[in-house]
Amino acid sequence: MVAMEAKGWIGASVPRREDARHLLGQGVFAGDVTAPGMLELAFWRSPVAHGRIGAVTRPAGVFGAGEIGPVTLLPAGPDMPGFRQAPYPPLADGVVRFVGQPVLAALAATRGAAEDLCARCEVEIAPLPAFADVPAALAPGAAVLHPGWADNRYGSGHVKAGDVAGLDAPIRIRRKLGLGRQSAAPMEPRALIAVPDRRTGELVLHISSQGPHVLRHALAAMLGLPESRLRVVAPDVGGGFGAKNRLMPEEVVACALALKLDRPIRWVEDRREHLMAGAQAREHLYDLTLHATRDGIALGIEGELWVDAGAYALWPTGAFAEAGMAARNLGGPYGIAHLDVRHHTVATTKPPMGPYRGVGRTGACFAIERLMDALADEVGVSRYEIRRRNLIAKLPHVTAAGMTLDTGDYPAALEACVGMLDLPALEARRAAGERVGVGFAIYTEQSGHGTAEWAGRKARVVPGHETATLRMHPDGSLTLLTAIHNHGQGLETTLAQIVAEELGLHPEAIAVRHGDTGLSPFGFGTFASRSLVFAGGAAKAAAEMLGAKLRRIAAHFLQADLALVELRGGRAWAGAASLPLVDLAHAATMRQERLPPGEPPGLEATADYCPPEDAGVFSYGVHAAVVRVDAETGAVALEDYCVAEDCGTMINPMIVDGQVKGGVVQGIGTALTEELRFDAEAQPLSTTFADYRLPDAPSLPEIRVLHLVTPARCTVHGAKGVGEGGAIAPPAAIASAVEQALGLGMVVTATPVTPRRVLSVLP
Amino acid sequence: MIPAPFTLRRTADWDALPALLEDALPLGGGQSLMPLLALRLAEPAALVPLRDLPGLSEIAERDGALWIGAGVTHARIEDGIGPVPLREWLSLVASGIAYRPVRNLGTLGGSLALHDPASDWPVALLALGASAVLRQGDMRRVLLVEKFCTGAFATALQPGEVIEAVTIPIPATGTRFGWCKLAPAPGAFAEALAGVLHAPGAAPRIAVASPAGARLMPEAPPPDDPHLARLRDVAIRRAGA
Amino acid sequence: MTRLCVNGETHDLACEDRDSLAGVLRDRLGLTATRIGCQHGSCGACNLLLDGVPVRGCLVPVALAEGQAVTTLEGLRDDPVMIRLREAFTAHHALQCGYCTAGMLVAARDLILRGRATSAAEVRAGLAGQLCRCTGYDGIVAAVLQAAQ
Ligand SMILES: Cc1cc2nc3c(=O)[nH]c(=O)nc-3n(C[C@H](O)[C@H](O)[C@H](O)COP(=O)(O)OP(=O)(O)OC[C@H]3O[C@@H](n4cnc5c(N)ncnc54)[C@H](O)[C@@H]3O)c2cc1C
Ligand code: FES
Ligand code: FES
Repeated sequence: MVAMEAKGWIGASVPRREDARHLLGQGVFAGDVTAPGMLELAFWRSPVAHGRIGAVTRPAGVFGAGEIGPVTLLPAGPDMPGFRQAPYPPLADGVVRFVGQPVLAALAATRGAAEDLCARCEVEIAPLPAFADVPAALAPGAAVLHPGWADNRYGSGHVKAGDVAGLDAPIRIRRKLGLGRQSAAPMEPRALIAVPDRRTGELVLHISSQGPHVLRHALAAMLGLPESRLRVVAPDVGGGFGAKNRLMPEEVVACALALKLDRPIRWVEDRREHLMAGAQAREHLYDLTLHATRDGIALGIEGELWVDAGAYALWPTGAFAEAGMAARNLGGPYGIAHLDVRHHTVATTKPPMGPYRGVGRTGACFAIERLMDALADEVGVSRYEIRRRNLIAKLPHVTAAGMTLDTGDYPAALEACVGMLDLPALEARRAAGERVGVGFAIYTEQSGHGTAEWAGRKARVVPGHETATLRMHPDGSLTLLTAIHNHGQGLETTLAQIVAEELGLHPEAIAVRHGDTGLSPFGFGTFASRSLVFAGGAAKAAAEMLGAKLRRIAAHFLQADLALVELRGGRAWAGAASLPLVDLAHAATMRQERLPPGEPPGLEATADYCPPEDAGVFSYGVHAAVVRVDAETGAVALEDYCVAEDCGTMINPMIVDGQVKGGVVQGIGTALTEELRFDAEAQPLSTTFADYRLPDAPSLPEIRVLHLVTPARCTVHGAKGVGEGGAIAPPAAIASAVEQALGLGMVVTATPVTPRRVLSVLP
Repeated sequence: MIPAPFTLRRTADWDALPALLEDALPLGGGQSLMPLLALRLAEPAALVPLRDLPGLSEIAERDGALWIGAGVTHARIEDGIGPVPLREWLSLVASGIAYRPVRNLGTLGGSLALHDPASDWPVALLALGASAVLRQGDMRRVLLVEKFCTGAFATALQPGEVIEAVTIPIPATGTRFGWCKLAPAPGAFAEALAGVLHAPGAAPRIAVASPAGARLMPEAPPPDDPHLARLRDVAIRRAGA
Repeated sequence: MTRLCVNGETHDLACEDRDSLAGVLRDRLGLTATRIGCQHGSCGACNLLLDGVPVRGCLVPVALAEGQAVTTLEGLRDDPVMIRLREAFTAHHALQCGYCTAGMLVAARDLILRGRATSAAEVRAGLAGQLCRCTGYDGIVAAVLQAAQ
C-alpha cells in the first residue's frame, strides 16, 4: 500500500495491482480456460504459397471450407471504392495464397490427436506462381493473386503538399530504403475457447484479444448471430502489440464449429503457427528523394513507397493505414513543407499484414532519418547538427501532410538527449581506433486521435470515442467498467488512479474490470496508443458525474452549501463536518427515502468521451544509440541507449518508463535481429524462435530514459499516448550509429542490420 | 506442435537395450529430440530413455583420461568436472550451450550422438582428441571422435548401439586450449566454431564446425556461404590457432 | 498411469507418453502458472523445477518426470527467495503482461541460489534465453539484483 494523501494520485508511481496475480502464477489467459467436453482444434495449413486445391482425402473429424456452417465474408480494408477487396476465407476455398493458410480444420479430444488427424489428410494442390516480394508481385506480366484485379495492388494513394518539382533545390538525395518483415510475437501466442452456454443461449468466446467488442461485432456478422448472443471475453492477454487486434480465420472456424456441433472448441496457437500465419508487419520499401538547400535545410520529399501487405486484407482495415501513415509521417519532426509521395499497398503470397507497435511510423522514421543522415554527409555537417538545423522550433505546427504537432519543444529534447551522453569520451575512443559510434533519431507519435482523423483515413471502424461506467456499490466500494483492454499497460492501476484522484479515494478502493462484452459498455479496445487518453477521459468524466451526485447527497445530509462539499479520504467534507461515503452509497441504493428530494436513486455513472481535438496529440522523443561494431564478424553490440521523450503529463511515471523501455527493445529487435525471411517461392524460413530472434537480456544495455513534460492542451490531465513511440526510432538511430562506428557515410539502407548486412557495406 | 504418438520404454538393463531400440530412438536429455518430434520431423514409435542405465552419469579419471558418462549434463560440466585445466576448458564450452534450464537436461552423449553440424560438443571434443565409448549390450568399442563423426547428423553408431561415455585424454602440462563460438546471441547455435589444442611440441590441433560436421583443419570443407566461411576464419584465429 | 509428484502431492494420471510435462500440468492439473510460449525450448515461459533444478517443462515427456519431484511456481509461494523476488518485481516494474513472469521467476531464483546474481551483467547473462516481449528487461534485472541482496 502506498502511503499517499488523496489528491496526489496523478503523477504517482503507484505499484501495479496487476502484478500480484501474475507473480503468483494466478493470471488467467485464454489458453488456461477449459470446459467439460471440449474439443481441441488444429489446422491443416497450406504447404505452398499459391495453388489451386484439388482432391482432398481426410479422416472423419476434419472439416473443409463450406462444412463449418454458414459464414458470410466481410469486406475489409479501408472503406473506399478504389480499394480492391480480398476477403480472407476462414478456410481456403479453392485457392491457397500463402504458406500456412488454414485449409482444413481437425477436431479431436486432444491437440495431439487433432494434429494426428491433420497428418492423415492429403490435399492435392496444383501450384500457381508465388510472389515472394513487392518487385515480384508488381513485375510486368505477373499473374494476379485475386480474381478481377488488374494488378497486385490493393490500392494506392498520393500524399501531396506544396510543390516539390518546382523547388529547384540544389541538393537532391535519392535513396532506396527498406524495413524487414516482422512478427509482433507476443509471448502468449493467440488462444481461444468458444463455449455454447445452454442457459443463456450465448456463445461465450474467451480469446486473447485487444478489443473484444469490435471483434464480437465482426464475428457475429460473419456467423449470422445477433451480437446479443455472442459474448467475447478477453481475460489476461500475454501481450498484443497489434497482433491481436484483427479478425483472424481461426476464431471464425472455432466459433462456427462450436455452434454447429454445440460443443466447446479450443484452439491454442503454437509458435510456429504464429510466426507462419499470424498477422505480420513492417515490410516497407522506399524510393525517395530529399530536396534540400546547400546549408542542409530539408525542403521536400518526393518518391514512392510500397508496403508488402500479404495475401489478404484483415478485417477491419487491413494494412492500409500502414502505407498511408508512413507517407504522411515522412516529414517527421522537421519543417519539410513539400511532399509528393505515392504509396502502394501490395498483395504478395505471404501472410496478411496487420498492425504492429509503431504502425507505419517505424518505417517513415527510418526513411526520413536515414535521408537526414545522408543530407548531413552531403553538406558536411554532423548528424546532430543537421537535426538541430531542421527541427521544428515552434509548436503548434501543421505539417505538410496536415497533422498538427501540438505541444512540446523538439530542440530541447535533442539537447537533453545529447546531454545524456559523453560525446567527447566517445570521440576519444574513436580516435584511439575503437569502432564505436553514436546515432540519433527523432520521432513523433500521434495518439488520442478522434473521429475526423479516423474517418479521414477511411477506417471501417472509427474508434473516436470510449465509454466508461463507474458504479458505487451499496457498501461504498467502486467498480469501473471499461472497454479498453489491459495487457501489460498497467491500465487497471492508472485508471484507478484517475478515478481515485477525482473522488478523493485511494486507488485500491476502485476495482477496474475490462475485456468482457458481457460487462462493460461498448468500446474499441487497446491500440494506437489511445487507451489512457480515451478510457482515462471517460473514467474521469464518469467519476465527475458520480462525484457530483455524491456531493449533492452529502450537502443534504450535512445541511451544508453544495459548493462547500468536497470528497477526500473516503469521506464527504463540509468544513469540519464529514460523512463516510459508504453512508451516502447506502442511502442512494438501499435507503432511497433518505435522498434529497428529486434526487434519483442509484450511484452509477456512464460517460462517453471523445477528445475535444480530433487531430490527436503528439508525443515525441529523441533516441541515441551507442554501438560497438566488430568489423571482422559484423556483429553490432549496443553499449548504451538513451531516450529523451515527452508524453505530456505522466499519470504513473513508472509505467511510462516501462512502456518506453519495452517499446525501445522491440525497436531494437527491428533494428538488429528480427526478420521473417522467405525464399523465392515464399516459403517461410523463420518459423521458430531459433530463427526469428527476439532481443534477450544479455544483448541489451540498460535503456536510459529522461522525461520532458509538456502537458497536452486538450486531454485529461494533459496526458499523451506513450505505447508505441519507443518502437519507432531505434532502427534509424542504430543504423546511423553503426555507420559512425565504421567511419562510413549513409550506407545502411535496410533492416535488420545483421552482421551479414554490416559486412556487405564495408568497403 | 505435438509429437506423433510414441511410447516410452524405460530400462535399466544394458542387455535389454538393443532389442528395445529396434524400432525406437534412444532418449538423452531430450533437448534436441523433443523439439524435433514436436515439429514432427521424426516419428519414432518409441523412445528409450538412457538415463536409468547403470554408469551413464559416471565421471572418473582412468588410464590418463577423463571418462564422462554420456548422460552427464551440460550443466554439471559447466559447474566443473575433472582436473584443471581440462575442468575450465570443458566448463567454458558447456556454459556457451543454450540456457541453464536446457543445460540441466541436455547431455554430452546426446549432443555428440546427434552431431548437429552447428553444435558445440563435437567440435570441442574433436579438438581435445576425445573418443566415444560405444556400447551395444555388453559389447564396447572405442572410436576417436574424428572416426565417430562421419558427417552432418551422421555418426558411426550402429543399430542398437549407444554412446556410453566420452573419454578425453588428460592434457600434458603446458597444453593450452582455445575456443571460439560465433553465434547470433548467447546460447544460440553457432554460425562458426573453432577449438584449438596446443600441446607442447606439437602442431596445433584445430577443429571446426563444417558442412560435414565437426572436422579437423585443414581438411574440413569450407562453408558454401562466403559469410560463414569468413566467420570461420575469424573463429579459428580467435581460438588462438 | 503416470505417477507424478507435483508440489508435494502425488497424482496418478492417464496421460499419453507424448504429452509434455508442461502440458499435463496445465491441462490435467490446472497448474497454469507454467506457461507455454514456444514449445521448443527457446523462450523459458515453461520453466519449472525437476528435483529442484530448473528445466524447460515443454521439453520433458511427462513419463520421464515419474519418480522426480516436480515444483511449479504454485509450489513456491512460501519460498523465501520467491517472496523477495515478488516484492522486487513489483517495486521495479519487472512485468507488464505477466506471461513470461513465472518462467522468469523460476530462472531468477536459480541464479540467486547459485550465486550468479552479483552484478547486472551477470544477471543479464544468466537470463539468456528467458524471453520477455514487454519490459525490455531493465526492471527484471534490477529486481533480481535487489532480491539477491
Ligand atoms: C533452445 C535450445 C538451444 C540450444 N542451443 C545449443 C547450442 O548453442 N549448442 C549446442 O551444441 N546445442 C544446443 N542445443 C542442443 C542441446 O545442447 C541438446 O542438449 C543436445 O544437442 C542434445 O542432447 P540431449 O541429451 O538433449 O539429446 P536428445 O535430444 O535426447 O537426443 C539427441 C539425439 O541423440 C540421440 N541420443 C541421445 N543420447 C544418446 C546416446 N547416449 N547414445 C546414442 N544416441 C543418443 C537421440 O536418439 C537423438 O537422436 C540447444 C537446445 C535448445 C532446446
Ligand atoms: S515453452 Fe518451453 S521454452 Fe518456450
Ligand atoms: S511481461 Fe509480457 S512477456 Fe514479459
